[in-house]
Amino acid sequence: MSDSLLIARNLSKVVRTEEAELHILNNVSLTLARGDSLAIVGSSGSGKSTLLGLLAGLDLPSSGSVLMAGKNLTELNEDQRAELRAQMVGFVFQSFQLLPSLTAQENVMLPLELAGLGSKEAEQQAAHLLERVGLQARLRHYPRQLSGGEQQRVALARAFASTPAILFADEPTGNLDSQTGARIIDLLFSLNAEAGTTLVLVTHEQRLAERCNQHLHLEAGSQVAEV
Amino acid sequence: MPLFALLRLSLRLLLREIRASELQVLLAALLIAVMTSSAIGYLNARLAAGMVYRAAEFLGADLVLSGTAPATQSQIDAGLELGLAHAQTLEFASVIGGANGLQLSSIKAVNEHYPLRGELRYREQPGSSEQIASQGPAPGEAWAEARLLHALGAKLGDQLEVGLLSLKVTRLLSYEPDRAGDFYSLSPRLMMNLADVKDSGLIQPGSRLRYRDLWRGQASQLQAYQREQQAYLAAHQQWLDTRQGNQQVGSALQRAERYLNLASLAALLLCGVAVALAAARFALRRYDEAALIRCLGLNRRDTLLLFCLQLTALGLLASTLGALLGWLLHNGLIAALGNLLPAELPQAGWQPALTAIATGLIALAGFSLPPLLALGRVPPLRVLRRDLQPLPPSAWLIYGSAIAALGLLMWRLSLDLTLTLSLLAGMLCLLVVLGVGVLLALKHLRRWLARVTLAWRLSLGQMLRQPVAAAGQILAFALILMAMGLVLLLRNELLSTWQAQLPKDAPNHFALNVLPDQAEAFSNAVTRLSGAAPTLYPVTPGRLIAINQVSVRDSVSKDEPGDNALQRDLSLTWSAQLPPGNRLVDGHWWDQLNPEAGELPGVSVESRLAKRLRLKLGDQLTFSIGGRTINTQISSLRELDWGSLQPNFYMIFAPGTLSEVPFTYLTSFHAPPDKLQDLLSLNRDFAAITLLPVEALLNQLRSILAQVTLAVELVLSLVLLAGITVLLAGLLSTLDERLQQGAILRTLGAPSRLLRQARWQEFALQGGLAGLLAAIGCELISVLLYQHLLNLPWTPHPELLLLVLLGALVISLSGSWLTRQVTAHSPLSVLRELS
Repeated sequence: MSDSLLIARNLSKVVRTEEAELHILNNVSLTLARGDSLAIVGSSGSGKSTLLGLLAGLDLPSSGSVLMAGKNLTELNEDQRAELRAQMVGFVFQSFQLLPSLTAQENVMLPLELAGLGSKEAEQQAAHLLERVGLQARLRHYPRQLSGGEQQRVALARAFASTPAILFADEPTGNLDSQTGARIIDLLFSLNAEAGTTLVLVTHEQRLAERCNQHLHLEAGSQVAEV
Repeated sequence: MPLFALLRLSLRLLLREIRASELQVLLAALLIAVMTSSAIGYLNARLAAGMVYRAAEFLGADLVLSGTAPATQSQIDAGLELGLAHAQTLEFASVIGGANGLQLSSIKAVNEHYPLRGELRYREQPGSSEQIASQGPAPGEAWAEARLLHALGAKLGDQLEVGLLSLKVTRLLSYEPDRAGDFYSLSPRLMMNLADVKDSGLIQPGSRLRYRDLWRGQASQLQAYQREQQAYLAAHQQWLDTRQGNQQVGSALQRAERYLNLASLAALLLCGVAVALAAARFALRRYDEAALIRCLGLNRRDTLLLFCLQLTALGLLASTLGALLGWLLHNGLIAALGNLLPAELPQAGWQPALTAIATGLIALAGFSLPPLLALGRVPPLRVLRRDLQPLPPSAWLIYGSAIAALGLLMWRLSLDLTLTLSLLAGMLCLLVVLGVGVLLALKHLRRWLARVTLAWRLSLGQMLRQPVAAAGQILAFALILMAMGLVLLLRNELLSTWQAQLPKDAPNHFALNVLPDQAEAFSNAVTRLSGAAPTLYPVTPGRLIAINQVSVRDSVSKDEPGDNALQRDLSLTWSAQLPPGNRLVDGHWWDQLNPEAGELPGVSVESRLAKRLRLKLGDQLTFSIGGRTINTQISSLRELDWGSLQPNFYMIFAPGTLSEVPFTYLTSFHAPPDKLQDLLSLNRDFAAITLLPVEALLNQLRSILAQVTLAVELVLSLVLLAGITVLLAGLLSTLDERLQQGAILRTLGAPSRLLRQARWQEFALQGGLAGLLAAIGCELISVLLYQHLLNLPWTPHPELLLLVLLGALVISLSGSWLTRQVTAHSPLSVLRELS
């Protein structure tokens, strides 16, 4: 287990409403080693994104624990979790989450600058990453001037900018047509392979899930199968 | 993250994001707030300096130390050491000898430095044009008023006997700056050099003398001098400054200053609203950014700090730029004022700019802190679930910080804690009451909604969907309209008060010593000359000698100089009716007095004098009048309009009380400028009557009021400019939502006409409601301001209801113009832009 990068033990998430308790996630457990790729699949509302949020330390479980690089996220406060995220985690979102007032290059520079890199260096690295995703001609374009596929490629470049140990991707093709989606996925997996990153992918596309070496199927918050 | 790195990053991000509209609105709101504040500050400082300069002319100096003996050498040395300029005058009454005999004259002896402010004017010949002199007569010479020479049968170049001296009359004195306000100096003036006084032998022990030590310098030097010397003041000495120098100018200046400060506050309030609206939009648009940054690993504190640093940088940039623009603007305005201002107007220095910058930053902190704090609470999980909103900051924090900022600014401007607190509390109550009212009204609209057209349902639906937000928006608009309305209202009131104070036919002559047997003939002659019958006031000189049987000499302590009213003869009068411009504040006028209420005859006392002498109703006053002692009892207290140029009296007796005392009449009248000949013949026909021209005073007052009026007008336009900007900022703050709704409706096939109509209706309704609230608020607040800040009587202002129409019109016009994008661009481009 010493090679395990991400371990989840009996993760549950319960939300209390005025009428009742909602069990969003029930006793989910998983283990991921460096370089592994995990697809979390399931229908809408099955708890995929909640699980992703818990694994990434964006939220805390009602019970259970998450260990990232040996550190128990449930024992860390929000600021400590943020520090861990800064060191280890990258994200790709369904809705891209690019800052509309920043250019493509500036969006990619953001995590580098947050990591304390000087602006010149960050600029060069961002340009290089954007070139890697085929957007060398779009450095100074704003998100609204880019197509959905192009925006997601910027998001990919941003996600890999800080060379994360784990990349969390939440429905990365959800907002894209199938052809563009396929190209994005190819790019994602090739970047992942190059960097040796551990990948946690939320998707409802079987085709996409099959490219991962582990699968976790959720139904109404419960783990149905793990391969 | 280290602070410096965070600062660098926040600045870099700010530079990259400066194109974002919410940043531009915030920048513009702050820029205009600080620009207005700094322009008003500079204008205020320089106009106040200009007005004080003009007012100083009435004193002939910036500060005067007046006493029955000259200032001691150490008092003079102390002033000179502080770098102040010094001059001395001495006034006394004496008999002058000429060819025709003797004439009682009011002599003023001046040294070579007099006057320190203003100028002396003289004529070479009777009827020739006025010349300006920078100093008074040389030793051995005298300048005389034409009426003195007339009375003495002398002419220019003649020698006059002044005590043991014989002085040559070299000029006809036509104007001395510090004489203007002195209505009641009866005797004609002779001016001589102070160095001649000793040789004249006129100063004897027991002579009634008035020494004045005149000082000129920077306000800070003068204050320092006054503070330093306060402890060494002799019992007979007292200060006179520009405010006390002349009642009319003093009250006009004070009101103008308060108005300018109030206008400045209104501008700040407006900009505060703009900053709050823009900052809320700034924060709202950064929720995603904050979530993303937190997701990328920045902790909560640093995330908050990042945005705080951005806002601080923005605040400093906008404030500095605004202060600079304000300085430029005020220079442009000063240039536009041209010759209305004195030529040597001192520069106002850095203070207004620094104050404006501080003001901008306080407004920014107070109004933008609550929405900004929410950014530190944005959960990082929002990157996955956009519906997650940060916990809103507590209402206490939101309103507390805004009120604290507002209170701080108000206190700085009006410097009156009670007024600031009561205004703040009043506004707060008003906001709460009106806000709840609007909320209830909106909720009731829901029932009505089912029966109206689609355009109305669309426009009202927007407001009803979020009634709290809609009520907030309406209140914000109401606040803007209220501030603008209030400033406009007070401006009109001030101007009409000043105009009433100095109408075109304001009395420009006082007639004194009208004997009872001449009264009718004189009255008829004046009626022919001025076109209106003058009111004649019987006057007799008398002295207050005891209060409640205690001699006033004993009631005044040795350390206090005592009240002027106790040291000189008062002009006493009697009247059956309450004279115009007088208002009873306590007690009853003669006709309503219970005849058995007091055995002593009644006297009505001016309220401010009563306050100074601690007099109250029923107190017994003993007067010495024409050698007789008369006991009276205070039956009423009156308030006077000291700003008017009508004869005013401290004491008015019941008719009959002074029937056996010799008296003369006093009156004032307006002589049209083209009736100079008639005036001369009036003077000739009634040689015993003293005619005192006050045209010079009137002109001086008019010039000051013209200047103040202009200042008020300029400040008003700045406030209106600020108001319009804020209105736009307010509308911009909800622009995204409106654009999105419009685009969706157009996608669903709604015709442009329907959308335009719905928008018009929504804005007009919002504007109309805001106008109504503004009118109510304006009226309620004006009661407080009129009575406590501006000392003006309050009357209702039905014209304020025009704000309803104005609000509807302005908001629907500007709102429709701002949201024209909804129908001007394709829905797709609008939606893409917003996403």
